[in-house]
Amino acid sequence: MDNPRHNNPVLSVKNLTIDLPRNADRKHAVSNVSFDVAPGEVVCLVGESGSGKSVIAFSLMGLLAKALNVSEGSIELQGEEIVGCSEDRLRQLRCTRMGMIFQEPMTALNPVMRCGDQIDEVLQEHTDFSSEQRHQKVLDMIAQVHLPDPARMYSSYPHQLSGGQRQRIMIAMALILEPVLLIADEPTTALDVTTQAQILHLIRELQGERQTGVLFITHDFGVVAELGDRVAVLKQGEMVEFGTTQQVLASPQHPYTQMLISSVPKHEPPIRKAIPADAPTVLRTENLHKQYFSFSFGRRRNVVDAAVDISVEIRKGETLGIVGESGSGKSTVARCITWLIKSTEGKIFLSGRNIAELSGEDLRQLRRKVQIIFQDPYRSLNPRRTVGQSIIEGPMNYGESHADAMAHARELMELVQLSPDGLDRYPHQFSGGQRQRVCIARALAMRPELLVADEAVSALDVSVQAQVLTLLEQIRDRMQLAMLFITHDLRVAAQVCDTVAVMSKGRVVEYGPAAELFNNPQHEYTKALFDAAPGRHFKFAS
Amino acid sequence: MTDTIISEESAESVDYSHQPSIWSRLFRNPSVVIGGLLIAIIVSLVPAAPFITPLDPTEISPRNRNKVPGFETVHKDEEGNKYTQVAHMGTDKLGRDVFARVIYGARVSLIVGLSVAVIAVSIGLFIGLMAGYFRLVDAVVMRVMDGLMAIPSILLAIALVSLSGASLFTVIMAIVIPEIPRVVRLVRSIVLSIREEPYVEAAISVGTPTPKILIRHVLPNTIAPLIVQGTFICGSAILLEAILSFLGVGVPPEIPTWGNIMAQGRDLFQIFPHSIFYPGIFLTLTVLAINMLGDGLRDTIDPRMSKEI
Repeated sequence: MDNPRHNNPVLSVKNLTIDLPRNADRKHAVSNVSFDVAPGEVVCLVGESGSGKSVIAFSLMGLLAKALNVSEGSIELQGEEIVGCSEDRLRQLRCTRMGMIFQEPMTALNPVMRCGDQIDEVLQEHTDFSSEQRHQKVLDMIAQVHLPDPARMYSSYPHQLSGGQRQRIMIAMALILEPVLLIADEPTTALDVTTQAQILHLIRELQGERQTGVLFITHDFGVVAELGDRVAVLKQGEMVEFGTTQQVLASPQHPYTQMLISSVPKHEPPIRKAIPADAPTVLRTENLHKQYFSFSFGRRRNVVDAAVDISVEIRKGETLGIVGESGSGKSTVARCITWLIKSTEGKIFLSGRNIAELSGEDLRQLRRKVQIIFQDPYRSLNPRRTVGQSIIEGPMNYGESHADAMAHARELMELVQLSPDGLDRYPHQFSGGQRQRVCIARALAMRPELLVADEAVSALDVSVQAQVLTLLEQIRDRMQLAMLFITHDLRVAAQVCDTVAVMSKGRVVEYGPAAELFNNPQHEYTKALFDAAPGRHFKFAS
Repeated sequence: MTDTIISEESAESVDYSHQPSIWSRLFRNPSVVIGGLLIAIIVSLVPAAPFITPLDPTEISPRNRNKVPGFETVHKDEEGNKYTQVAHMGTDKLGRDVFARVIYGARVSLIVGLSVAVIAVSIGLFIGLMAGYFRLVDAVVMRVMDGLMAIPSILLAIALVSLSGASLFTVIMAIVIPEIPRVVRLVRSIVLSIREEPYVEAAISVGTPTPKILIRHVLPNTIAPLIVQGTFICGSAILLEAILSFLGVGVPPEIPTWGNIMAQGRDLFQIFPHSIFYPGIFLTLTVLAINMLGDGLRDTIDPRMSKEI
């Protein structure tokens, strides 16, 4: 704190306490939080879901939901108190002195307004420029966020741009009036890793040029390592640690921070037990191909190759990871293998039989050998059925008696480290991580040979993610399952996979043992992907 | 063992057991309570009609023609003894007691409303499930539904009546047919979104046969919106039946319905407005009550829908 910049912070939050409505699980959304942001500094607020980090961001902008109110403390923007300030004054302050960017640029932008007009609206509200001046200023700003062809971007609608481009428009809008403070609420969470790297770079660049103070909200310690000058760690609305990024990430003091940082998966794959050479092959695909057609009037049709020539193999006890960015076709492969969609061409051998050609009862019998765990634990369990009903549904479909299936379900609940009493409860009575455990139990109830995890840990907080990953590993070893692990997160793939296939635009561009591939990537795309991973070169506390 | 899971999403740990049950929420909604009470009163008129008035709603009496409300009319009982009765709502041009006709008329209105709602919802539910879940069925069925939607129910009723003669059944059919596509569209849109839910895919991958998936995982999601839609159909069917009867293409004229009571009072409307006014009041109250109940149900059972509609 000896830095002279800190004497004149752009933002200073003192003892901020925000109450939750009476029927909530805890009293305060945010309790006694103090921090400040100096000009030209990036302060990261980091915490798991429910830690109150977004509530802080919204309270700064004066955008808090009506049910929440600031009960104590002060928020000063360049010395001006915001708590209790009038709505008119807040409207003046937004954009002119503080700007905000959001997680999902598609929903934050108005879909029926041209991007340029949306930026122009900010100028119209807050300045007296003529329309020519405004137009020029908007074009300049679009160029500054490195969007190609500013004139075309000006007249494009949000849906015509990619996610990264939309986020650049959001940044242009937030920064056009050169605010002293930029609040970024998980701005890169919805983006692919390479796009994320570009956006982080852009924020760094613009913020450096203009000496803007940035309050950056994230759950990703990699991003913190990449961008943050100082970092505040929040746990259930309380600030448990605040210090420079180096201090907090390399030598965390609070046990909670230590636990979080130790849960962050490492980039380097651990040394893994070799799969015995004689382990039988459970799944083999040969030139698996999936095309999507769209028919229109006449005979013309658009063909999209979602997956092309996929040939992979998984042996018993082995985990194959498929990594790639969104739209790379990794989920398509998983869905073809689990027969949720029919492949267009190619062969899928499961236990030596080609399931791509099967239908009817033969398919039904083989289908139970492949089970899938989905990304979203909130939507993958029927909310109207008890957890027990969901778990025993599969075995009962294949003729198991209710009593036997229930007995097995009890064993499985213990295996996934949940209490068997939970079988009578409904999904909403469980947390996200617990639900994902239930989904694992449901998949295991079918006694599968191959378990497909389609982004199964992506929606979970980092500490829960680490636990679920450990559980999946334990189960795989114990039951000698073959596992197909689909993920966009290279660090997760590095931790759990024996073999990795990197997919881009529907094709496997690199395929090999995880240790080799991570330590010495060959393909350009793989290299780019690894380089883009945030915090790759940071030495986290271990 | 469950304690091993630390630092879970705290928003999750909200205790749902304290949330009020659906019944107590229903009883706290004023639209549901008022609408429900009104409907209960009107429904109770049906079995209670003989006890409320001793008069026969079809009894024609030339000497009692066109009497204003409050007039004492003279009638004969089965043994031929004369007795007088106050005509609370007056009499019509054939001397029939309007009060008795309105009370008995509730029967037809409610039968039409209820049966149209039940038939349209059941058929629409089945077709909607099929169309939403099976793509091939969808392409064909939805075009047929578009065609059906284009038929105005009044014209259809006139056509049906001229083909098969006026009867309660014809009227119900004429109202049901154009209602079905609306239900189908509602159900189909729900099924389309539900069948993409991961829990439906999970059911597929654990080998659940398609009929079971439809009944167990898809159908329950359609129930709440259908109850709501059903009440609206019931309200509009009652109204439509009255319109059809008023136009003379509805239920046979000897059966009293609110619509044909008003139709028969039409000629002398300016001198004797009561025979249009009273059935009109009952009709309005019933439709209003049903719509209030529907609105209240929608807000309570499915709060998301109240924003969409």
